[in-house]
Amino acid sequence: MKDQAPDTARNAEVAELALRRAEADKLGGAESVGRHHEQGRLTIRERIAGVVDAGSFQEVGKLTGQGRYTDGVLTGVTPAPYVMGLATIDKRPVAVGGEDFTVRGGISWSGERKKGGQGGFVEDLAHQYRIPLVNLIDGAGGSVTSIQRRGYSVFPGVHGFERAVELMGEVPVVCAVLGTAAGGPAGRAILSHWSVMVKDTSQVFAAGPPVVERSLGQKLTKEELGGPAIAVDIAGTIDNAAATEAQCFEMIRNYLSYMPQNVWELPPVLDCGDPVDRCDNALLKIVPESRRQPYDMRKLVRMVVDRDSMFEIQPTYGKAVITCLARMNGKVVGVIANDPKVYGGAMDARAARKQTHFVELCDCFHIPLIFLVDVPGFMVGKDAEAAATLREGMRSVYVGLQATVPMYTVVIRKCYGMAGMGATDKNGLDLKIAWPTAEWGSLPVEGGVAAAFRRDIQAAADPKAREQEIEAELRALASPFRTAEAFGVEEIIDPRETRPYLCRFIDAAQGRLKTTVGRKPRYGVRP
Amino acid sequence: MARLEAKTDVTGSVWKITTVVGQTLAPGDTVMLIESMKMEIPVIAEDGGTIKEFRFAEGESITEGEVVAILEG
Repeated sequence: MKDQAPDTARNAEVAELALRRAEADKLGGAESVGRHHEQGRLTIRERIAGVVDAGSFQEVGKLTGQGRYTDGVLTGVTPAPYVMGLATIDKRPVAVGGEDFTVRGGISWSGERKKGGQGGFVEDLAHQYRIPLVNLIDGAGGSVTSIQRRGYSVFPGVHGFERAVELMGEVPVVCAVLGTAAGGPAGRAILSHWSVMVKDTSQVFAAGPPVVERSLGQKLTKEELGGPAIAVDIAGTIDNAAATEAQCFEMIRNYLSYMPQNVWELPPVLDCGDPVDRCDNALLKIVPESRRQPYDMRKLVRMVVDRDSMFEIQPTYGKAVITCLARMNGKVVGVIANDPKVYGGAMDARAARKQTHFVELCDCFHIPLIFLVDVPGFMVGKDAEAAATLREGMRSVYVGLQATVPMYTVVIRKCYGMAGMGATDKNGLDLKIAWPTAEWGSLPVEGGVAAAFRRDIQAAADPKAREQEIEAELRALASPFRTAEAFGVEEIIDPRETRPYLCRFIDAAQGRLKTTVGRKPRYGVRP
Repeated sequence: MARLEAKTDVTGSVWKITTVVGQTLAPGDTVMLIESMKMEIPVIAEDGGTIKEFRFAEGESITEGEVVAILEG
């Protein structure tokens, strides 16, 4: 450049480009950005910089916005309220974008082509290049003011959600709610494989407090209506909560480290540095002598999977089931473990919904599943029936039976009924290994004796004693070793052997997994 | 001194109160055991503290989310 003669015309154009870029970098202006920061929130440019590899962001559509002109000369630009482009996370390309709340609250913007949100350029980028999509959501969607501007009312969801739906079967989609999300952006957050929100500074709902008050007369704050206590813990609308935006970005990077770039690839294998033959002695004593006492299932999971590789999805929702991504000898696996501390691990409607989503997620991205089973069955009682536990539970069983990814069942203690069946691989190898503490059946002995042996018990001189006697007889026959004799369970193992045993099979399945990549078809009607 | 609440995660009945008023617990210690789904489910003092009051006696029914004890820490 230095050697070339000055070109005044080109200089003017370069200067205009520089001005336009500088205007884009200002976002909604110093005052608006200041207010945003005061609320403890980062700007969209800071967010993108926080989540992607340093210096890797290649923006697309930086010049979009509303130019201001005096006598035909550009004086400034109000940028479009959406920033997006191409970047890398752990050196792998991703499409990333998000609303700019500092420009008119990040509300929808109508240019020739949408930049982001459902059906925007950033989604086309993820679709065409088959790379993950990271949505950093901070917008309230449409506004009735658009009626005035257009002169007509827009038909809802004209175009775009079809692309968002398509992406769910193609590439990992991560959505972070980083402010107040309502309407379209809130809906967009749900159409994801994994979603996260930030405590205290983010809320998500179909409609905010003013609409709720007008519709139902309920006076609620944003936080009461759609903070993490509702959206994450009770509703499961959003999967995880982060304490800060910085932690949220770290979680996004971590989540994507378990994901392939798309469904035509397998997840990356990491060198784990954790010996495959590590046999943790504590596994031998983790299950208490008394079958009435719970134990720490998370601790058990950590002892089996690669060191520090456990990434829990929905840790505060549907807590009877623990779902986490992890690695075994460096290969990504999905772990589904029942938590005996929550209703003895009985599967309630929420836990079933959580398991259904997780099985689908792992099946979609060719991630083998490990079930660590301690489930007495579906949750019982009037509340459980009213919550449609049976339907949600059977939906979970149905999705599990449709999945084609390899599954490994390890029965730790109880494995009963339909919930127990939902933890097995009936389509595949159906490999079921068990610890010596395992017990199984259609229903627990103590629950079935009174009904099945009613006449016998009633005829006895001491009915209670007779019931206990029958229970003891049946329990002796229910030893897992007897089922192993009949090859009704493929192996009983020393609990310490769990890791090496599973690693052998997961390693061996890698070749088969390569032959089954691609989109997973979904047939039939879920119950 | 902050007032802390120990809540039950499960519906059931109080099986055994394993602590006494005035006892100081470390974070993660068990306050009492709830019987639910034929299991003994512990109520945990998440942040520890000294027990000031129990809200239920052994054998009484409780509902998920109810405060079973007040602690100070």
